[in-house]
Amino acid sequence: MTEKMNRIQEKLKEDKKLLSIYFTAGYPNLDDTVKIIQELENNGVDMIEIGLPFSDPLADGPTIQDSSTKALKNGMTTEVLFNQLRNIRETVNIPLIIMGYFNPMLQYGVEDFCKKCQDIGIDGLIIPDLPVDVYHEEYKAIFDSYGLINVFLITPQTSDERIKYIDSVSDGFIYMVSSASTTGAKSGFGEEQSEYFKRINDLNLKNPQIVGFGISNNSTFKVATTYAKGAIIGSAFVKHVTNEGIETIPNFVNSILK
Amino acid sequence: MKIKVCGMKYQDNIEQVAALQPDYLGFIFYDKTPRHFDTEIPEISNDIKKTGVFVNEDLNTVIQKINEFNLQAVQLHGEEAPFYCNMLRTTTLLKKPIEVIKVFSVMDGFNFKVLNEYEDVCDYYLFDTKGKLPGGNGYAFDWSLLNDYPSTKPFFLSGGIGIDQINDIKKFKESEVSKYCYALDVNSKFELEPGLKNVGVLREFINKLSNNKEMQKYNVDERGYYGDFGGAFIPEMLYPNVEELRENYLKVMAEPKFKKEFDQLLKDYVGRPSPLYFAKRLSEKYNTKIYLKREDLNHTGAHKINNTIGQILMAKRLGKNRIIAETGAGQHGVATATVCALMGLECIVYMGEIDIARQAPNVARMKMLGAKVIPALSGSRTLKDATNEAIRDWINNPVNTHYIIGSAIGPHPYPDMVTRFQSVISEEIKWQLKEHEGRENPDYVAACIGGGSNAAGTYYHFLHEEDVKIIAVEAAGLGVDSGESAATSVLGKEGIIHGCKTLLMQTADGQITEPYSISAGLDYPGVGPMHAHLAKTGRAEFMSITDDEAMKAGLELCELEGIIPAIETSHALAIFKQKQFKPNDVIVMSLSGRGDKDLQNYIDYFKI
Repeated sequence: MTEKMNRIQEKLKEDKKLLSIYFTAGYPNLDDTVKIIQELENNGVDMIEIGLPFSDPLADGPTIQDSSTKALKNGMTTEVLFNQLRNIRETVNIPLIIMGYFNPMLQYGVEDFCKKCQDIGIDGLIIPDLPVDVYHEEYKAIFDSYGLINVFLITPQTSDERIKYIDSVSDGFIYMVSSASTTGAKSGFGEEQSEYFKRINDLNLKNPQIVGFGISNNSTFKVATTYAKGAIIGSAFVKHVTNEGIETIPNFVNSILK
Repeated sequence: MKIKVCGMKYQDNIEQVAALQPDYLGFIFYDKTPRHFDTEIPEISNDIKKTGVFVNEDLNTVIQKINEFNLQAVQLHGEEAPFYCNMLRTTTLLKKPIEVIKVFSVMDGFNFKVLNEYEDVCDYYLFDTKGKLPGGNGYAFDWSLLNDYPSTKPFFLSGGIGIDQINDIKKFKESEVSKYCYALDVNSKFELEPGLKNVGVLREFINKLSNNKEMQKYNVDERGYYGDFGGAFIPEMLYPNVEELRENYLKVMAEPKFKKEFDQLLKDYVGRPSPLYFAKRLSEKYNTKIYLKREDLNHTGAHKINNTIGQILMAKRLGKNRIIAETGAGQHGVATATVCALMGLECIVYMGEIDIARQAPNVARMKMLGAKVIPALSGSRTLKDATNEAIRDWINNPVNTHYIIGSAIGPHPYPDMVTRFQSVISEEIKWQLKEHEGRENPDYVAACIGGGSNAAGTYYHFLHEEDVKIIAVEAAGLGVDSGESAATSVLGKEGIIHGCKTLLMQTADGQITEPYSISAGLDYPGVGPMHAHLAKTGRAEFMSITDDEAMKAGLELCELEGIIPAIETSHALAIFKQKQFKPNDVIVMSLSGRGDKDLQNYIDYFKI
């Protein structure tokens, strides 16, 4: 890590439960990216995951797959996204994370990609199909040299041993997938989730956890953050934007944080 | 280290194992074991030392057997005293001098002092696991006990050595005492039944042990890579499933029971071995020697079933009761639905919405076989998206479900596992060609490649045979540069698709593009990582064949040989118009599937 503290790490120190929102860049319209980010910050969202669309998003369900397909049709590319975000730090202060699949980054050049992120003021990356061991061996040094935090996922099936390994490789937070599923597949939490949340809490990891998958409203947000530091909403937000448009973002955020 | 294969019993099997060129072959002259040798030793290479194994046998009998079977070594497995060993080394009754190997059994400990008296009367020691039987107990002793080995006499290491100990052996080789380890002695862990050795697994074991790294360069490495390609680029949600498979697949495949069940089903249910047919008229036309490996005659009409039989047995071993698969044209879907019906397991097949419309007969077949066919509605609604949907299903059902991938693609260990199940193709070619041509190796092996499972199986046992050239045939669609093509090796760039790093067709921005070919089985935007490696290293020659060239070659085979090939296979058949072979060249081509499924395409194309 660079000596300066990353915005993600600073945010995690705040004494509150964090709300993080995922959206697909370039959706519903190509140029909505910056507007959406500003709206989210202005309405009290703590952190944002900017989805870099991919043609074959394996870990995502239909909602995010469809928004990705649409965004690509709209003309979204890695280069276009970086251009849109060029001046984002003039208006936005909360941590920004790019979430995307590994192939577009590989084609852009991993080091070039990281450098560009640093220039813009991106704080971290979530790359679901880059396994932790490959990251550790081949890419961690590059990410570190550009001050980027890489966030890893864990699931109810991840063994304690592997969770501890992931914890040791992480410098920000751990993305805790609430159930064995793709994004947007399930809503609401049952007994199983509660036990899982508690089990992870009891491991006393050095990185705080932020829960994702299955959070869509105020009540699921509350359950998810009983033990965890925060929660991420993705599919529910994308659905809201699809149905209600981006003008009603304040209503959505308020309904979660009410 | 040298290799001794012990407990040989059957003539054919002895010849097959001898072809692997072990350093010693052991024949057990002890009638209390099921491996008791009581027939003739066929003619085998003089470089292989024929070893007689005896247990407290009468000295005269031993001498008589040595002379009768022309043995070059004896292995003494009982309580033979030093003078007994010495007699064998000094007797004038032997036609030739003999190597004497004295066996000692080791369990929790071993008193190395007993070796003292034997130092001057035998050539080698052999350390075996102490068990109920004198040898053949099937488990290993703790090799670290040998760290106290006081002698400098070379020894054989024995007892329960199998392919799953490759890493242990490599580790052992790093130990100080291993410099005295002259040979490894293997037996029961490579058997289909007592005395009958599994040639494929033995070959692999010997290859893996080979110090020649060059010889290994086309196989998957321990990290799951073929050179720069392969690996497992999967979301964490899939990690436990893939890891479970990775940990178990080699172990399970090496189990004699598993192999036996697999072989039995291939024989009785699939109809293997598939014939290796000399295509006389086709050969005459192109003035060369063309053999067709008739995978089209398998049950369900293609090579696909070799893999689904293997994987369904694997799924059962891993305790899975729900099977998912992806399919493009429906061939793999039908092969999967078939084996699920055979085993009584739930079967869900994902198929692109567009493909469902194009391939109605195969959809009906799957339904008749009891499978549920779920349309993939996302993306381009073809094979690539069906694969995405299958992977998503697996993410959502991580515990009870096994995903049967249909080609040599996907995260490690899939490409290797699928290749191994399909390698029965080249295993058969070897002995079948020997019958036809008197040699195991053709000059060329050729196959069409989509993801590349039939090609992988056709090449597998020839990958490291330098005298065998490899030809891979891709679909050029309307032409490699037409924008409507599936020639991945030409148009693809290194990237990640469906969990592995390989060559794939993509935009400059890294989005995966839609390939095109008239053949539904070849229009996949990637290629298996092994094939990407074969392309990059130049081990295989890649050729591209257009729709038109393929269709004409397909029709030509109908007319010359009375075989209607699948359009995938027709691509391979079209190489004879592009490439000139010598009259004496022997080319073995995988006839991967039959053309029934493609009848409508042929009708439309030729306006029949």
